[in-house]
Amino acid sequence: MKKIVGVTACPTGIAHTYMAAEMLEKAGKKQGVKVIIETNGSIGVENRLKQKDIDEAVAVVIAADTKVEKARFNGKPMLEVSVSKGIKKADEIIKDALEGKFSTYQHGE
Amino acid sequence: MKIEDLINEDLILEDLKAKTKDEVIDELSALLHKLSRITHLDHFVEAIHAREKESSTGVGFGIAIPHAKSKHVKTPSLVFGRHRDGIDYDAMDGELSQLFFMIAVPEESSNLHLQTLAQLSRKLMDERFRDQLKAADNKGKLLSLIESIDKEEK
Repeated sequence: MKKIVGVTACPTGIAHTYMAAEMLEKAGKKQGVKVIIETNGSIGVENRLKQKDIDEAVAVVIAADTKVEKARFNGKPMLEVSVSKGIKKADEIIKDALEGKFSTYQHGE
Repeated sequence: MKIEDLINEDLILEDLKAKTKDEVIDELSALLHKLSRITHLDHFVEAIHAREKESSTGVGFGIAIPHAKSKHVKTPSLVFGRHRDGIDYDAMDGELSQLFFMIAVPEESSNLHLQTLAQLSRKLMDERFRDQLKAADNKGKLLSLIESIDKEEK
């Protein structure tokens, strides 16, 4: 099964972070891809992405309204959206990810 | 910390009277104040509005989750309010909101109840759960639906 990794985060870190994570994971289930989401909420970082999963992922999705540590995604096809878009457009985001529509992330540019 | 520490039947409003977003916030906050779960009404309402200003917590799907982390919160709480017709809550999808979960947590919050709220947030993305909340015809049913999120953890 293909893999997509992602990070969700929001300013208060109480609700939206988890809603976006849930929607992206659900969208992945529907489309037959394993979506692994790290949540950066007020509880702290949960489900921290493993380098192995990042390496194996076909794409990276960041749905966040706060700063996310991105150096680890250098060279990966990546999309950055707001956390609310991650909730509302999860299906489209995962579809675009699978269709290779993301551009390659170059860290530090 | 379990969800039943956050909410009980007194913290459920089956039929909100509010007609606007501000009135929803006032109505839910007033209940928190009446039940002494917050110490200062105006300051708490301000904190809720400050969060709404960053971006509306009307997340779509007919749900809004106004929330604040504030030193004016005495007891971590969840208030549930339902509006029959729906309210324009500046939702991201432009639709009316019917289900309101107001979350009040103290400045120093334990991870446990934040985890509970995270679980609730995930659960709200389940369409069936939302339909059940809209359909439930008394407070007891609403409460047991909301409490059911605890049981799904394992």
